[in-house]
Amino acid sequence: MPLRSNEQGWGALVRAFHWLIAVLIVAQGVIGLSMVQMGLTPAKVRVFALHKSIGMTILALVLLRIAWRLTERRPADPSAMPRWQRRAAHALHLALYVLILAIPLSGWWFNSTANAPLVWFGWFDIPGLTGGYDPVWKPRALLLHQTLFWILVALLAGHVGAALWHHFRERDDVLRRMTIGPRKQNGEAR
Amino acid sequence: MMNCLGGLCAAMLLGLAVPALAQTWQVDAAHSTLTFTNTYQNVEYTGQFRRFDADINYDPGDITHAKFDVSVDITSLDTRNSERDHTALGTNFFDATKFPKAHFVTTAFRQAAGGKVIAEGVLTLRGVSKPVALTVTFAPHGDTATLDVTAPLKRLDFGIGAGQWADPSMIGNGVTVHGHLLLRKGNPQGGS
Repeated sequence: MPLRSNEQGWGALVRAFHWLIAVLIVAQGVIGLSMVQMGLTPAKVRVFALHKSIGMTILALVLLRIAWRLTERRPADPSAMPRWQRRAAHALHLALYVLILAIPLSGWWFNSTANAPLVWFGWFDIPGLTGGYDPVWKPRALLLHQTLFWILVALLAGHVGAALWHHFRERDDVLRRMTIGPRKQNGEAR
Repeated sequence: MMNCLGGLCAAMLLGLAVPALAQTWQVDAAHSTLTFTNTYQNVEYTGQFRRFDADINYDPGDITHAKFDVSVDITSLDTRNSERDHTALGTNFFDATKFPKAHFVTTAFRQAAGGKVIAEGVLTLRGVSKPVALTVTFAPHGDTATLDVTAPLKRLDFGIGAGQWADPSMIGNGVTVHGHLLLRKGNPQGGS
């Protein structure tokens, strides 16, 4: 599996980024929805701290992923794909990138306006984005964080649904090339 | 007293006639703060109590007759984090419904090394009374003075956040209290 992407499929690094971030986002969603239901105990404080640490990790990984993506070309869309589907797919991917950046940023913003600590896995202190406690912007930041999350859930349903549709109905390589690699071998691709 | 002039001698005698005549000060609340530092998840933060009353009797030349009597409105807590404040006032911590006031009164003042003054007293917080020593820095400026006091406390000595919240990596046990008071000359007790 080549490190870099080519015409046929995604490189190893893009796939690693994709699946690592995917797993973290699913975990983060489950943790986020559960933690707000918890009674106030030290465990709740620790779970919130974990949610914040994972969120900052996702933000850093997404930035690295975007930086890497800018250095290479994406594989070609399947030739059978109509123009509107290509456009819809690319728009959805762009929206997902925007959301997976904006959700951790809005969480960081909310945490800053709440004047709550942010210590990455207990290791180092991450400073706030704003000038400390801000009771005016705090509820807005939280609303933004939650709203963006539910938009992400809706778009991910479309993303996963489209991947499965490509694989099982279209029987093309769209899902394969992000997982085990493309079937048709042209040149260097596995 | 041997070389004193008549008027001055009279004033001194009058002074002696009223026992424990230390200087009484009025606290300028708008320019006075009662703050503390502590750690939460190992990150230092500062909080304050916005309302407190302090009776201050202090003459730097005669500390034996000095006296501080301070009452703190616990519900005026502000750590610039509304969730933290709400939690801190709850039953696991300050339990402000049951113990809305903290009280500190001095029992003795003494001169310590390095020209420092130590005020020993008793702090009653959350229904627990413990001896507490303040380090006192007093700076007179004519009719006003600034009084800075600091005291290291242990929150668990007073049962604040005991039990499941005792873990100091979550909430530090050590709390440094700092009072900064702007004082204005008031009438000495017994009139002038």
